[in-house]
Amino acid sequence: MSKVLKFVLNGMPVKVVAEPQETLLQVLREKLSLTSPKCGCNHGDCGSCTVILNGKAVKSCMIIALTVEGKSVVTVDGLGTDGKLHPVQQAFHEYGAPQCGYCTPGMVMAATAFLNENPNPSYDEVKDALAGNLCRCGGYQKYVDAVMAVAKGEFGPIPKGSDVDV
Amino acid sequence: MREYFYEAPESLDELLGLLQGLNDEEVKLLAGGTDFVPKLSKELDEIPKEQKPPLHIIYMGNTGNNEIKEDSDNVYIGALVTLTEIEESNLIKQHLPVLIQAMEETAGHTVRNVATIGGNIMNASPAADSITPLLVLDAQFVLAGIDGSRTIAAKDFFTGPGSTVIDDKEVLTTIIIKKGKGKAAFKKLGRRKAETLSVVNAAAYIEMDNGICKAARLALGAVAPTAVRCYQTESKLVGKPVKPELIKEICSGVVEEINPIDDIRATAWYRKQVAPVMLERAINQACSEE
Repeated sequence: MSKVLKFVLNGMPVKVVAEPQETLLQVLREKLSLTSPKCGCNHGDCGSCTVILNGKAVKSCMIIALTVEGKSVVTVDGLGTDGKLHPVQQAFHEYGAPQCGYCTPGMVMAATAFLNENPNPSYDEVKDALAGNLCRCGGYQKYVDAVMAVAKGEFGPIPKGSDVDV
Repeated sequence: MREYFYEAPESLDELLGLLQGLNDEEVKLLAGGTDFVPKLSKELDEIPKEQKPPLHIIYMGNTGNNEIKEDSDNVYIGALVTLTEIEESNLIKQHLPVLIQAMEETAGHTVRNVATIGGNIMNASPAADSITPLLVLDAQFVLAGIDGSRTIAAKDFFTGPGSTVIDDKEVLTTIIIKKGKGKAAFKKLGRRKAETLSVVNAAAYIEMDNGICKAARLALGAVAPTAVRCYQTESKLVGKPVKPELIKEICSGVVEEINPIDDIRATAWYRKQVAPVMLERAINQACSEE
């Protein structure tokens, strides 16, 4: 039995018809054509579907879409401003962190949510923050290095409200 | 395909009323969903061999019970408090640091951000990381029903993997934990450091008096159909001077109180080897913090 679901996506209110059994990931990809969150395992193991829900990084394949009613969802599409990449995106790019790139949108979201709450993390804290995101190219080192570089300010200040009005 | 229905009641009363109206139907109470949704996705991926009855998914997220409170004697944790909220709570840090220890080792941040303590309890997995600490903290669970609520001790709550004494018209609302005088510790052995389920987990609560163990509560997870309180081992510990060699010797006897199985994570044999070690480490930590 489908229902109308209203929530805020990347700062814009959206309205979409969703089925009770549909996950947030399915609604984003298949109904809203937002394919940046990837469907890797669809069972909450790989983290490539990570989005920011009300300021917290979550695995969108583990969330029933209808439960985000009235909440705010941010994907990588909502991060850059004025044609400029978010510092986390810029750092991943310049550090050559993505290899095949499949895990990258999830990594960006996990790293961004983490840095919003912990602007001055230790190396181990960054590793812990990204532990739920698998990279089968094995590019973990560069992802962690890139996040540390953002934390040190190498890529400029993290824009305020970079999780878009959450 | 199976038919699915979705409701999101706005209060506990509305939720309990809804449950009254669903008598012969299959109902799933949804909190964080981190256990249920992957199972649902798996079900949807498979071609069903049999037609399943419609499933009513009832989302509890808007029904309150999402706060951590205290009074002079107890800490009250709402069933819908997320694992991250427990991890970050000053109140929990002050009175029940063992829960933070356990939460930090449960799954990963992205799961803990949505998973709830009530969900972890109601799943009643023998390997759940919150259950062993709750057992040694002697937690009480408040179950609300249409005619009022009842309170049941954690040690009497679980009856098997995924099953508890709760009635299908009742809802877990609050976890009550007495502020104890002793110290507690949690130890987990997984196959990896992060995002893993317990091969064995252990929790210990110890009250000491001049180097003598005054009271002890011990529990092991993933070694039996439910997480188990190790009553015999506890009784061997009480009244004894707490010395490392003695703890080791006492813990070796805990294999008599567990009944592990072979599964994808470990063999029964291996679990019998490591359970005493994990328990010993938990006890040692609970004592050392004195």
